[in-house]
Amino acid sequence: MGITPPPLDTTAPDIHGEPDGMLHGGAEEVHTAYTLADSKPPLDEEVLKVENLTVEFPTDDGLVKAVRGVDYTLRAREVLGIVGESGSGKSVSSMAIMGLLPKNARIRGRILFRGKDILAMRAKEQRALRGEKIAMIFQDPMTSLNPVHTVGDQLAEAVLAHHLVPRRQALAKARHMLDLVGIPQAERRLRAYPHEFSGGMRQRVMIAMAIINDPDVIIADEPTTALDVTVQAQILEKLLEVKDEVNAAILMITHDLGVIAGMAHRTLVMYAGKPVEVGSTDDVFYTPRMPYTAGLLGSVPSLEGEGEERLRPIVGTPPSLIRLPAGCPFSPRCPLATAECRESEPALEAAGDSHWAACHHSDRLAAADDPTAFFRADGEPAAAGEAEPADGVPARQTVTTTEGTTESEEGQ
Amino acid sequence: MLVFIVRRLIVSVFVFFSATALVYVMAANLGDPLADLRELPANRRENAIAERTERMHLDKPVIVRYFLWLAGAFRWDLGTDRDGIQINATLEDALGATLQLVLGATILAIVLGVALGVISALRQYSSLDLTVTFSAFVFFSLPLFWVGSLLKEFAAIEFNNWLADPTIAWWVIALIALLIGGFFASLLVTDRRTRLIAFGGTTAATAVALAVMSATGWFANPGLGIGVIALTALAAALGFSVLFSALEWNPVMKSAVITAVIGILSSVAFRGVLENPYPIVVIGLLVLALAIAAGVGWFVGGELFRRPAITASLCTAVATAMVIFMDRLLWSFAAYSDSVNGRPIATIGPSTPNYDGTYWEHNLDSLTHLALPTMALVLVSLASYSRYSRATMLEVMNQDYVRTARAKGLPERAVILRHAFRNGLIPITTLVAYDIATVFGGAVVTETVFGWRAMGSLLLGGIQERDPNPIMAFFLISGGAVVVFNMIADIAYAYLDPRIRLS
Amino acid sequence: MAQTAQSAGTHTVTPGDPRPPADSDAAQGLDIKARTQSQLILRRFLRHKGAVAGMLLLGFVVVLSISSIGLGPIPGWWDKNYVNSADLVNRGRPTLSVVPEFLGGGGMHLGEHPFGQDNIGRDYFALTMRGTQISLLIAFITGVVATVTGTLIGAAAGFFRGRLESVLMRITDVMITIPTILFAAMVAVMWGNKGVAVLGLVLGLVTWTQVARLVRGEVLSIREKEFIEAARSVGTSAARIIVKHILPNVIGIIIVSVTLAISAAVLLESALSFLGMGVQPPDTSLGRIINEYRTAMVTRPWLFYWPGIFIIAIALSVNFIGDGLRDAFDPRQNRVRD
Repeated sequence: MGITPPPLDTTAPDIHGEPDGMLHGGAEEVHTAYTLADSKPPLDEEVLKVENLTVEFPTDDGLVKAVRGVDYTLRAREVLGIVGESGSGKSVSSMAIMGLLPKNARIRGRILFRGKDILAMRAKEQRALRGEKIAMIFQDPMTSLNPVHTVGDQLAEAVLAHHLVPRRQALAKARHMLDLVGIPQAERRLRAYPHEFSGGMRQRVMIAMAIINDPDVIIADEPTTALDVTVQAQILEKLLEVKDEVNAAILMITHDLGVIAGMAHRTLVMYAGKPVEVGSTDDVFYTPRMPYTAGLLGSVPSLEGEGEERLRPIVGTPPSLIRLPAGCPFSPRCPLATAECRESEPALEAAGDSHWAACHHSDRLAAADDPTAFFRADGEPAAAGEAEPADGVPARQTVTTTEGTTESEEGQ
Repeated sequence: MLVFIVRRLIVSVFVFFSATALVYVMAANLGDPLADLRELPANRRENAIAERTERMHLDKPVIVRYFLWLAGAFRWDLGTDRDGIQINATLEDALGATLQLVLGATILAIVLGVALGVISALRQYSSLDLTVTFSAFVFFSLPLFWVGSLLKEFAAIEFNNWLADPTIAWWVIALIALLIGGFFASLLVTDRRTRLIAFGGTTAATAVALAVMSATGWFANPGLGIGVIALTALAAALGFSVLFSALEWNPVMKSAVITAVIGILSSVAFRGVLENPYPIVVIGLLVLALAIAAGVGWFVGGELFRRPAITASLCTAVATAMVIFMDRLLWSFAAYSDSVNGRPIATIGPSTPNYDGTYWEHNLDSLTHLALPTMALVLVSLASYSRYSRATMLEVMNQDYVRTARAKGLPERAVILRHAFRNGLIPITTLVAYDIATVFGGAVVTETVFGWRAMGSLLLGGIQERDPNPIMAFFLISGGAVVVFNMIADIAYAYLDPRIRLS
Repeated sequence: MAQTAQSAGTHTVTPGDPRPPADSDAAQGLDIKARTQSQLILRRFLRHKGAVAGMLLLGFVVVLSISSIGLGPIPGWWDKNYVNSADLVNRGRPTLSVVPEFLGGGGMHLGEHPFGQDNIGRDYFALTMRGTQISLLIAFITGVVATVTGTLIGAAAGFFRGRLESVLMRITDVMITIPTILFAAMVAVMWGNKGVAVLGLVLGLVTWTQVARLVRGEVLSIREKEFIEAARSVGTSAARIIVKHILPNVIGIIIVSVTLAISAAVLLESALSFLGMGVQPPDTSLGRIINEYRTAMVTRPWLFYWPGIFIIAIALSVNFIGDGLRDAFDPRQNRVRD
């Protein structure tokens, strides 16, 4: 694949020009859904390309292999969703892009931004990229803003870090950004401190901070996890809107499949530090080719399902990143696991048109009507909803569930 | 907020009154204040006892004596000690001397301690951090009186002996140079090569400088000279402009360098004025220097760099002024040393009695007397500041907003100063304010070791003589300081933290 | 800390360490042993090199001081006592030698008077050991009394709040207003002549304020935690909540407080004795010894060094132990995304 990107063919929109419909001062109440279908389609140009990225942390207990070889490409204006449980390496890999990992992290591989390897850059070049070309929105808006500086100062600071302009001008831009993300009375709010904002408002400020320098890539790390459900949708819509405003691509990192479903063009599923399934969001959601994906889908309540249908959670917990099980890391929790799975780790293989999965048995999933059905706990419907996830394969479910309950008694 | 402070103030006043009552009752029950008189021959005993009983109101109950004292204290009349000497006069002298002793030491300990703590937090687990942390533990465990006595022996007596023939052995030069080089290198965050170069350069430069100073007898007849002044001033200009802006030839650096050059030129121009100036002249010159620096920063900084340029210029001006002051002091050192029989570092008291000399010699006299007690106090109190600052900075550096600041692409300097340190200041300031109030305790021991007659002797004398009034005078000041500084801590907290200020 | 320390003492599995079926351990790569909370704390403590060194040093000082001159009527292995004078050997200089002969030293031996003799020929090793015993005793009593008092007052103020809290905290404020040296000097003069145990006790009674503040803060924050709410919602009694839920969570801070209080007490006692207001004759302590011989600094410097070194050794080792304990109980403080 060619990695030299063509020059940006579309002219960046002039955000000072205040295009129609973007400036709705008090538009909080007028709620118009803005979905992925309404947004501008992705371009072919590759802005970010991650090649064989591995991240390891030496600890007292051993080497933590947080990311074990990740490859993906993010195209201009594309939204790529990265899903996985906590500890799957999805956040660590994005932190590696931002250069925000602790010093003791061992990072290998290549992260190409418009063809230039970020990992090979000097600290100063990396810094010039951060917040200017690649911006990040963090999970917890309550703690991500500095409590002792005004919102205006913190926004203006992002401009001044990369542009030699008077403070006045930076503040004006900050005010405009607050308008853009739908914060009323932006002028007055510039002088307010973060604690005077609600969680949703703070996340809007974080979005404003992310787009203030017209970045090419926005990394959103669980941007709605800490927010109320009602606010979540508004924030996601806003994110899609501003993406089009600044023509950025979004890397959407989440454990919430619902977020991905409505937002991402393509989805990458990670497990134990590796991608296990990649494809267009529709493909991944409707025809999963990796049991883990199917399991994830089965553990989300669905409005369309019949009322009495039980959730089918994946039993067990993610493996230790210090001592990974032999073979496929998902095999201890996988209902389809065979001897082969416990011996060799499958590689990503084509499972359709631009759809890849890492599973020895993806053909069995392809043949099934409802892939999530593999996770059904036969004859033990009550166990699934209440018991703590216990380890073991479904055949032993009854036994392990009982153990799990006795052990967790003290905790409950 | 204001309501909160006023409420705190009212509570503090009540607390303070209760404390005075408690201290008075205890001080009045320490023992028999007439014990020494009972030893007198019979003919004088009766009279003396009667006189002191009358003076101390020993015939009245303790509670009445307390209120008599309190009534006096409200009129700032602290009564007399058991021998009839007015406490007010004693207290004023004692307080002056003690403040002279603890003020510089406390400021020095805070600045050094916080700086060391912050630096070692930023270099966590480096050899510098381990050294600072370990030293902090050692200093923290040192008995003040022991350190004081040790300093008297080595930093004064031995040092004065050495000054008679001030040459340094080659291995001492090597050791000092290696230590300084190592310290300087460990401050840098760069790759190994640059660090090695810095280490080698600093070590060699220090060794050469020390060798030259040793060979020329510099220590007996020191001085800096225009060359060193110029070098230091320019280095300060460079350092401050990097600290407040960046390592590039921008208006910030320009204005700092202009300030430094003005400072160097004026050190020559004002040579005559500084021969034996009045103190007011020196202060006036400092104010003038600051005004000029601010002006330079304002004009050179322009709209884009005004704030950092003014800050860098002001800091450069202060640094340059300090170097010029140092230079003047050092030039007078030989004369001063001769006038005190070649034993410049003093071990006893706050000043040489009846000393007569120039402005610089008087300053040197105070400084040489302050040197040892200050060193002892700084060593012992440094540790708690550095440990606390380190812990605070480590905690702050882990906060999400520091990560946000990095994600914005801010330079590391701005991340640390504007985001991490600014937040760390909130708990650090509070601790410092609480802690300052306790310096009177440390002063008691230090004064005893170094033979100062100040607040410490007031307290110890009062306790030994079972005399409440001097004890109460000591408590009025030291306990008052606790109350006042706790208030300041609260106000500083609110000032630094908008979450408190605006609620 | 609150979450993990919750299970302190009870042998439950710590969060994050699920106990998998034994036969599939290796297959799953989950062969991390489930550890109890106390094992975890011990492990973290033992990993702190300074704390382990502090333990060894303190143990050495304690054993040396007790075994050498004995305790009370029990005799020790050292054949001299701290009362009798003897002829000056080597002009009273220390005879201790630690440099082996093959390195050009005087060999490794204690000699007649390892720490030398004072001006009237008393054995200085025995005297220093006696001072060490007394200083340790006072420091220990003061530290424990201060911690117990501070914990009771702090915990009561934090848990019951309301009027009781404000009264207790005002009392604490009054105590804080009085500088420690003034307070300690006054109680030492009033009760110090009643023996060293009494001196330790009264010093403890004037130095508990820091502990009280710490414990109160901790209790205040813990009583707002969800698991207390949960315990209360199922009708658990206040006594049971304190014993089962709050105490296990503040035990860490209490143990750390003991060490801080002890090291502060060593220095406070020695400073008081140095000022002539602590231990009274015939008893002696390290601070008192330094005070007695401080004029001999120039002529007999060893009379000054030995007691000072032992004060530092005690304070330093206790401080290091305290640091290790704090890290062990509260690893959050230590875990840094560097």
